[in-house]
Amino acid sequence: MLFSSVSFLYYFLPVVLALYFLVPTRFKNLVLLLASFAFYFWGEPTYSFLMVFAIGSAYLHGIWISRAKNARIRKVALISSIVISIGTLGFFKYWAFFINSINAVFNSTLNPLNLALPIGISFYTFQILSYTIDLYRGTVRVQTNFINFATYVALFPQLVAGPIVRYATVEEALSSRKHSLADISYGIHRFISGLAKKVIIANSLGELGVIFAATNEKTVLLYWIWAVAFTLQIYFDFSGYSDMAIGLGRIFGFHFPENFNFPYIAKSVTEFWRRWHISLGSWFRDYVYIPLGGNRVSLLKWVRNVAVVWFLTGFWHGAEWNFIIWGLYFAIFLVLEKFILNRLFSRLPGAFSHFYLLLVVIIGFVIFNTFGVTESVISLKAMFGMAGIPFTNLETGYYLASYWLIFIIAILLSTPALKWLAQKAKGIKPLANMSGALMPAVHVFLLLLVTGYLVDGSFNPFIYFRF
Amino acid sequence: MVPLTRLSTSGFKMNKKYLNIICIACFTVVIFGFLLTNIIAPDQEFSYSERRKLAQFPQFSTEEFWSGEFFEKCEDYFLDQFTFRDGFRGFKAYVKLSLLGQKDNNGIYIKDGYIIKIEHPLKESSVLIAANKFNEVYAKYLQDLNVYYSVIPDKNYFTGPENGYLSIDYEKMLEILSQNTQNMTFIDIFPELTLDDYYKTDIHWCQENIIPVADALLKAMNANALASGVNYTRHELSPFYGSYYGHAALNTKPDTLVYLSSQIIENAIAYDYETGTWNSIYIPDNFNNVDPYDVFLSGAKALITIDNPSADTDRELIIFRDSYTSSLAPLLLEGYAKIHLVDLRYITTDYVGELIEFQPGADALFLFGAQVLNNAAMLK
Repeated sequence: MLFSSVSFLYYFLPVVLALYFLVPTRFKNLVLLLASFAFYFWGEPTYSFLMVFAIGSAYLHGIWISRAKNARIRKVALISSIVISIGTLGFFKYWAFFINSINAVFNSTLNPLNLALPIGISFYTFQILSYTIDLYRGTVRVQTNFINFATYVALFPQLVAGPIVRYATVEEALSSRKHSLADISYGIHRFISGLAKKVIIANSLGELGVIFAATNEKTVLLYWIWAVAFTLQIYFDFSGYSDMAIGLGRIFGFHFPENFNFPYIAKSVTEFWRRWHISLGSWFRDYVYIPLGGNRVSLLKWVRNVAVVWFLTGFWHGAEWNFIIWGLYFAIFLVLEKFILNRLFSRLPGAFSHFYLLLVVIIGFVIFNTFGVTESVISLKAMFGMAGIPFTNLETGYYLASYWLIFIIAILLSTPALKWLAQKAKGIKPLANMSGALMPAVHVFLLLLVTGYLVDGSFNPFIYFRF
Repeated sequence: MVPLTRLSTSGFKMNKKYLNIICIACFTVVIFGFLLTNIIAPDQEFSYSERRKLAQFPQFSTEEFWSGEFFEKCEDYFLDQFTFRDGFRGFKAYVKLSLLGQKDNNGIYIKDGYIIKIEHPLKESSVLIAANKFNEVYAKYLQDLNVYYSVIPDKNYFTGPENGYLSIDYEKMLEILSQNTQNMTFIDIFPELTLDDYYKTDIHWCQENIIPVADALLKAMNANALASGVNYTRHELSPFYGSYYGHAALNTKPDTLVYLSSQIIENAIAYDYETGTWNSIYIPDNFNNVDPYDVFLSGAKALITIDNPSADTDRELIIFRDSYTSSLAPLLLEGYAKIHLVDLRYITTDYVGELIEFQPGADALFLFGAQVLNNAAMLK
């Protein structure tokens, strides 16, 4: 089920909210768990059993790790948990990629199976791993209540596209959490903001992707429009989903971590990745990069660590070579920044480093958004005028004229400009009071507008559901 | 007690707690309100504005349940049966066109009260398919006939280029037809048309405005009478909400549907091969149909033959056509004793020969709107 669907907004959500707030506290997790299964089952009936298996396995491994008599058995239990989790993820997500690669190299005819990717498997597997690893490390306590544990993994607000919530983050809230008017109101605000970001902005920008794919009259300018539109679309799509997840979590009394912090205002790749998909970045930092030695190792090993983390980051996004290249592409810039670029940019005005970051990110998303290396190269050549196509034409002009305001709005909203304005308004009392009073009206307006887009539009799955 | 709101020297002030309550209440009212109205409101079977059947609640089957298809059908059902669906579509269209400054909504824009659909780009391969279809029909049936073809521009032809909207490259379309059709003469009706000749809310042209088009065709086909020489009686039906009205989902003024009658038209009768019935040329009762344009020759029909007993000629005309011709054909009766209307979207080329006879020396005209030529795979 999608958050941005009529079935979720006007059937599932009101029913779940009513049940959740009507039942006594001791049944609240059960309501959330059943709702989460229904939510997942709606989109993935058969793979629901895979999720149940993953939860059951992690739950039992957690108990095994906590009750192990010695360090060796604890380690065996952890390894068993990791092997099962990664094995399941690997089989369902990467099997076809590996087999196709083997077939290509050895000219063999092994069956790639071509299994459909279970929605959200990358996210809930990483949550499970954080639980068993943290349990092994002793930073969290074992969860013996199956309903509480299953609620943690399957919690529908963040089940299918994150943020990746560590067990430690919600450990306390799972057994006791408070609900307040302020939290619910804030949750509604975040949820509607995310919904509007996804449906009004990301989907509108996504239309340009469809137009781009369909037209036979591509121009250099249209390639750039497509590349910038996708760069903005993926931000509003994914951060919109995160906003909705955080908002829904807050309504139910959970405080999920932030996943985005205006990544496009960054001035280096290092900073960008501190602001983009924060929960994934910090997961790889804590469970891969630091265990490998982080930056407290020799130069060569540090480069290796960066390469490993970014190879995995790319591969996590999809079982395709272009995702791996995309990950390693960022690794190269991280290394370059450390040795050359940071020193260079420190002597130049900030605009240079910002321009550099945007260019790197836009090109990165071209690699990310194309199918295979050949298509990436063709697109990049076209963007830089090496494909023998005209710079612009009537059609490109039309789409620019039709979407320019959406671009402006998207660019402004991808910066903290609105936040800054709100802060400034807070200092001017009449303005602050008025804006506060208008907020419910803005929410209703956006909710109804989103409904209009949904009723009039077609099915628009989230980009990050692919991962 | 803290007042909910108060006007003070600092302006509009509201207690934070009450603000939270209002925020929650608004959200709750909207989502629970629509949950209830969606449950209570009876399901609709048909959308007159969108001219399509609406999805109904799916029948349960174990197979579809486990494959997920059942839930997908539920999604369609929820969307189609959503309360105030048309109002929401209109709200979205208004925001998109007026607030977000987008040039079109779902390929539709409004210019001077005309609802116009963008047909773009020109699909050259499709036009080639149409040309080949013309040649195929010619080779099969028309070798001893006088054969013509003509193209009807869409509304966007008149408004698109000058207002920065995308439109079909008509020059290229006509060039492809000219280079790829054989043994047939092109009749240019473009100079006889302006935007005013079309309905504001519908795709079609207005019958009362296309007498010059009928004249141009009759002249080019050497008919001995013209439509402009007839004193037609106007009949008005209103309000006419055309097919684009529902697509646009915006409040625009409806049209008035006008049909023209004369002694010849009143004496003529049309044979519908599908139903095997003889009908009048105009059926005003059809104005209440889903498509009021059905007033003209009963609307979309595979094959119709119009008999004109008042004709002072025995000439016959076969028109391979789309829906535009429904309102044009009555005006051509001045020059013909019999007009066959063949809609190749609904009847195969092979089957046509089994139903009508192609008289040597008769006239044949391929007359299609640009939209059909640009999507010619639908021609059978």
